Amino acid sequence: MSFYFVIIGTKDNPLYEAEFGTWKQGGDGVARFRDEQRHLNQFIAHSSLDLLEELQWAGTGGSMYLKCIERFAGTAGGGSGGVVGVAGGVNGAGAGGVWVSVFLTAGNIKFVLLHDTRADEPIRQFFYDVYELYTKTLMNPFYSVDMEVRSAVFDGRVRAGVKKYL
Amino acid sequence: MILSLLILNKAGGLVYHRDFSNTFTKLSSNDYLVLAGTFHGVHAITARLSPFGPSSGGTPSSGLEVMESEHFRMQCFQTLTGTKFLLFTEPQQPNVDVILRRIYELYADYVMKNPFYQIEMPIRCEAFDRHLMAYIKPKQ
Amino acid sequence: MERSNTDSFRHSQYLPFSPTTSSHPSTPLAQKHASLPIPTPTTASSLSGSASTLRYSQSRKTIYDRHLNRSKGAELSKASFAFLFGEMVQYAQKRVSGIQDLEKKLNAHGYSVGQRLLELLVWREGRSGKRETRVLGILQFITNTLWRAIYNKPADALEKSRDHEDEYMISDNDPMVNTYISVPKEMNQLNCAAFQAGIIEAVLDSCMFPARVTAHSVPNETWPGKTVFLIKFEQVVLDREAEFIS
Repeated sequence: MSFYFVIIGTKDNPLYEAEFGTWKQGGDGVARFRDEQRHLNQFIAHSSLDLLEELQWAGTGGSMYLKCIERFAGTAGGGSGGVVGVAGGVNGAGAGGVWVSVFLTAGNIKFVLLHDTRADEPIRQFFYDVYELYTKTLMNPFYSVDMEVRSAVFDGRVRAGVKKYL
Repeated sequence: MILSLLILNKAGGLVYHRDFSNTFTKLSSNDYLVLAGTFHGVHAITARLSPFGPSSGGTPSSGLEVMESEHFRMQCFQTLTGTKFLLFTEPQQPNVDVILRRIYELYADYVMKNPFYQIEMPIRCEAFDRHLMAYIKPKQ
Repeated sequence: MERSNTDSFRHSQYLPFSPTTSSHPSTPLAQKHASLPIPTPTTASSLSGSASTLRYSQSRKTIYDRHLNRSKGAELSKASFAFLFGEMVQYAQKRVSGIQDLEKKLNAHGYSVGQRLLELLVWREGRSGKRETRVLGILQFITNTLWRAIYNKPADALEKSRDHEDEYMISDNDPMVNTYISVPKEMNQLNCAAFQAGIIEAVLDSCMFPARVTAHSVPNETWPGKTVFLIKFEQVVLDREAEFIS
């Protein structure tokens, strides 16, 4: 089970990206993506931003964790799969399906996680963990909004979060 | 009854002058400048005048602090930085020390914390004037 | 410049510099999962190639170890802030010509404060933190949460302008940044609360409510320092609000 995590800034620019594998059930934490899949990951993350924008302003909810907003169905060849509908539905472990979960901060920074099995609660905790890390990064006076996060400590803490929750 | 306040800078120039009562004749503004300069000189001389030398505590004697006559009393408060606050009051005014300390506090707040005030220049701070009047008026 | 391990650093609060890493997505990220990669100065310098010339805190604490609630409810002496703010005003004054530019500079200073303050305050609300999607919601957040976090009291009034749909006004009878400042007569239009206006503008911009915020003095009898922050939203915001209502 592999995850692709990216933090996207207010101008749709990536601030931080990382790939993880799961630590549970004997996994060794290494992401196993096919090569084409890797390029597709970035595409999927960006294309989900459109849907995200719609959901962002829907209703008066205003919660930060938006759960799974999209399920992207890809074919085994990893070619041009179509984007399939909106979320919240079945916990489909379809072949090659990728779920997109999003967390949106108050300052409009998007944390996007691509994963192949759906698991709301651990992902929510992971997102809140990263949210805390991001806020601490922002407190640095030498870091401005929409700047890339290049800290090795940040990287280490995110991976620790993955180990803990995912 | 407080009559007037003068503030002198380190070099002896007059930076602030305010009258709080109309019961005495006013001098011209030039006269006040001369007065300030003269006092600065007198204060410096009197600091050296004491025949006893430094006190047992090792502190050298300070300059002129109080000058009293039948009609008025003048008290001088000199800060560590050389700024002098001269307060003219009627001879029977109590608690002049307390008043001078409070004026010093107002100075430290509304003059020194004002980014538009240039050090050693004449004081033109509206907040300082306002708070000073608010403090002195009830005492008259 | 050598790193000197003198006693002075043991007592200093320097935060360690985090060296750049290459987090390129196409390289397989093989991590030894035996130990968490907390960087020590030696590994850090080997990662960056050449010896780092920056100093490290002896206790090796990073900014990520600092708890965000540490300064919650902490009080700052007004005098310290006043001196710092006075220097900020003088610094800006040297670099600009004209009152409008000075206000813009102060606004820019407040802007970076506001961006950080927003995230921090929303984080501190914990699980119940929410993003504001309505104009009234974000204005309430500013007048209550933000003002209370900075000044320990809510703002004095929030009003909507009758003439213009896109204008709102927040009034503060005695803005704390202006307490010790007396503006000289020739700079009468300057209001140093432009700094506070910058904070408000950053909060609004970051929440996707683009606006321009300016500070105006409206002295009256009881409150000679009364300031009104005029918030002018852009058309995007009004359109979105209209969609909500319909």
